[in-house]
Amino acid sequence: MRSPKSEALLSRYSTIIIFLIPALTIFTLFVVLPIGEAAYYSFYRWNGYGDPEKYVGFKNYAYLFKNRVFILSLKNNFYIIAISLFIQLPFALLIALMISDKIKGATFFRTIFFLPYILAEIVTGLIWAYIYDGNYGLVAAVWGFFGAEAPFIIADKDWALVAVLIVIFWKFFGIHMMIYIAGLQAISKEVLEAAKVDGAGSFITAIRIKIPMLIPTIKLSVFLSLLGSLQLFDIIMPLTGGGPSNVTHSMVTYLYYFGVMRMKIGFGSAVGVIIFLICLFIAIGYQRTLMREDNENRF
Amino acid sequence: MKTFLKLFFSIFILASFSTAKADTIKWLHLFGDDDNSMPGMLKAVKEFEEKTGHTVVMQYLENESFKAKLPTMLQSNDRPDIFYSWSGGVMYDQAKAGFLRDISGVVPDSYLQTVSAAAADAFTYGDQRVGLPKQVAQVAWWYNKDLINQAGVDVSKIKMWDDLLSAVQQVKDAGITPICMGGKDKWPVHFIWTHLHIRNGGKALFIDSLNNGGWGRPEYILSGEQMLELVALEPFQKGWLAATWPDQAGFFGDGKCAMAFMGNWMYGAQAANSASGEGLGDDNMGMFNMPMTKGGLGDSGDTLGGINGWLFSSSAPDSAVELIMHYVSKEIQTEDASNGAYIPIVKGADAALENPFLQQVAKNIANSQYHQIFYDQFLGADIGRVVNDVSTDLAAGIISAEEATQAVQEAWEFNQ
Amino acid sequence: MKTGFKTFYLYLFLFLMAAMIIIPLYVSVMGGFKHTGELRTNSLGLPINWKFENYTSLLGNSDFWLFLWNSTVYAVGTTFFVVLFASMTAFIFAHVKFAANKFLYNYFLLGLMFPFATAILPLFLRVRDFGLLGTSWAVILPQIAFGLGFSIILFRGFFRQMPREIFDAAFCDGCSYTQFYFRFTLPLSTPILATVSVITLTGSWNNYLLPLIMINDESLYSWPMGIMVFRGEYFTDWGKILAYVSLTLVPAVIFFFALQKYIVAGLTGGAVKE
Repeated sequence: MRSPKSEALLSRYSTIIIFLIPALTIFTLFVVLPIGEAAYYSFYRWNGYGDPEKYVGFKNYAYLFKNRVFILSLKNNFYIIAISLFIQLPFALLIALMISDKIKGATFFRTIFFLPYILAEIVTGLIWAYIYDGNYGLVAAVWGFFGAEAPFIIADKDWALVAVLIVIFWKFFGIHMMIYIAGLQAISKEVLEAAKVDGAGSFITAIRIKIPMLIPTIKLSVFLSLLGSLQLFDIIMPLTGGGPSNVTHSMVTYLYYFGVMRMKIGFGSAVGVIIFLICLFIAIGYQRTLMREDNENRF
Repeated sequence: MKTFLKLFFSIFILASFSTAKADTIKWLHLFGDDDNSMPGMLKAVKEFEEKTGHTVVMQYLENESFKAKLPTMLQSNDRPDIFYSWSGGVMYDQAKAGFLRDISGVVPDSYLQTVSAAAADAFTYGDQRVGLPKQVAQVAWWYNKDLINQAGVDVSKIKMWDDLLSAVQQVKDAGITPICMGGKDKWPVHFIWTHLHIRNGGKALFIDSLNNGGWGRPEYILSGEQMLELVALEPFQKGWLAATWPDQAGFFGDGKCAMAFMGNWMYGAQAANSASGEGLGDDNMGMFNMPMTKGGLGDSGDTLGGINGWLFSSSAPDSAVELIMHYVSKEIQTEDASNGAYIPIVKGADAALENPFLQQVAKNIANSQYHQIFYDQFLGADIGRVVNDVSTDLAAGIISAEEATQAVQEAWEFNQ
Repeated sequence: MKTGFKTFYLYLFLFLMAAMIIIPLYVSVMGGFKHTGELRTNSLGLPINWKFENYTSLLGNSDFWLFLWNSTVYAVGTTFFVVLFASMTAFIFAHVKFAANKFLYNYFLLGLMFPFATAILPLFLRVRDFGLLGTSWAVILPQIAFGLGFSIILFRGFFRQMPREIFDAAFCDGCSYTQFYFRFTLPLSTPILATVSVITLTGSWNNYLLPLIMINDESLYSWPMGIMVFRGEYFTDWGKILAYVSLTLVPAVIFFFALQKYIVAGLTGGAVKE
């Protein structure tokens, strides 16, 4: 006769296992194993046909660290991170605060601001390539209005990255806004009511109550932004293709352009592994310093 | 009774034999419905199916998707039997990996006699024949007659590279944009650099470089310096680094620049991409070959261009080869040529070319002793893209002629 | 008076932002009505010659609806399983104390750290070896796998913020985990369910590379693959492409609108009185 305690334990563990198995299996098969295989390929020179045969050890990695374009793409990723953290996220928070109150047209604005995220990356790149066009685009129209000749931003080595950063901002601030809105709604109404009763205006409420209660959500959003910034690919390719003269490459576009498209799968995998390690490093550092594990709501 | 059974069985066996012989041939191509290669292809399929009882399944992928997907497709059971190819390095990689079929046994000499030998050779790998050609193309200087006349340039006097430079300067002085260029796509730029290689180095040097390296040789450094001379004149349209190939074609068709260095497909493309949809009329366009360079080892009749055709995957049935032999035949190529669809490679079909420009190109190629396939195809996926990159960097003025050749040499070494 | 000004600037700011978003989209939608040549010369204005047939030929094209349908199948299939599996997993991570909890959670985070572009070839080989190539599962399963990490993070974060009292009450009543999950957690999680659904639907809807590599049969093409039909080797019909792309935005927007209400639901429940 089993004791009630061990029975409870058994049912507890069986529930855990049943709940976790589907995700674990699919994830391991289709994410973890491919990652492992890619890491394996990174030590080979392989064009993707058949099986990898030419073992080259760390040569792919050594080449990367000396490669000017890769270093540049690494730098670009950090610029993207900086813009996201210090401009895009605060902005998204601001907008979320503005439109989560019951103002007229909140739904309208929310939809509009989220639209860029829904737009496919290829399309975003194309449309913005139009806009930036110095002959016929919005840029041309605006400059022409002031009687000046428009610059060709995407063709300009110094400004192309700025152009790309603007598009990235445009496309992704909506998703962070959504996350903040979801978080804001989790704030209990009683607290807000209490603040109202105490006479706190909307500005004070925002600063003293909402934002502090949003901190877990903000931490989450920052974390996702960091990792997401490092993976940027789909939006850069149609906009600049990494150019002009390779100044707008992110690490992933570098991987695709210099690895996959040139049938250098081993080399591309090495870049992938490096990106992975950077993300891992960030994740570990983040967990240690900012995300404390609280044991609330655990049973 | 016995005879009846014998008859029954022999008919049964014959019948099963013939049904077993009906193949389904998978033909992968990149010609859209509007493309003028399509009518010829559809006609060939129809005739072939009726004649042989085999079924042909055609599959279309656009250019970039085709290149992205082919490596994985070839490694799955869905691989096509026939697929499009620009020959060159990519084809060699596919052959080396064992994805292609040697069809020497299926193609009779009588057929080979009907097509241009150079074109057929482009689809061999060592002593294996892995494909059949379809068309050829050439890169030359297209020009807008009105604008050239306005600038007072006499195209017939452009014999040497320096003459071209003077012409460009003259056009510029007349306030006209000399050259349209699509820098974002990069490959339009590499035509100039590599054609200079052809002039400066010639065939023998190229083959030597291909087999033994030495891409940094002085002849090729000279090409870079010559290109820098051109670039110093600031000949391209504003923002050319952000312009794509369709943009380039459209500009030219809109009459926004005097010249463009492009393949013969520019003829159709400049009209299609222009604002009016009409482009420059036949009367307003002209074509001249890349001029010779001083002391160049190449011949002034050497050409740069493509030889495109069809490859057969390792599991392709004989009937697939028969289909292509039926398609690339005098009758169909003559008809396509008369429609100006492409420049044919079946002997005698080029007589049907009505378009004066295509006629000119066909003649150029036929007379050429050395027709170099585009470097970015011929040298393979890796080195090819390096060539595109450094050509554009040269044109943008951010690397030196030595650095350009060095990059190509490094890429070549890496791929040995 | 003060509130008047503030509201004015608030709305001004919001409208300016909205304009920045609407203009590029307007360019795209209007572009579908233009001839290709006009796209280069008149990108911002109303079409001079309205070319309706870009849009009408698409709407009348059965392939167009087929591709939309396929993309819908992939998107809905992926989203359903992601929401189910991720919420189940996050539920355990958020509420159950057990030894491997943190480790497993971090395990799922790996999915966010590896660029998809590198995983394509190994993924292809795996799907091929499972014999799934050319089926819808070839697209759906990898998408589920890559979507789990992000979704688990969002779910877990949300679950952890849920008020303690509900748990204590239900647990005292002898509720099992499973019952609790279905009776309490899910119903109370509509905002986050909606958010995760929208993100997953969008991601799947716009995914170009994965279906390209996995699908060969034209009858299973996703809509991005359908764009190919309008691109020849030398000429791209931008007008048709813009029309096509504008049309495909519509379902995505509808998804969003439909799910929007659930995100808003929490708000109107206990609205702050102005």
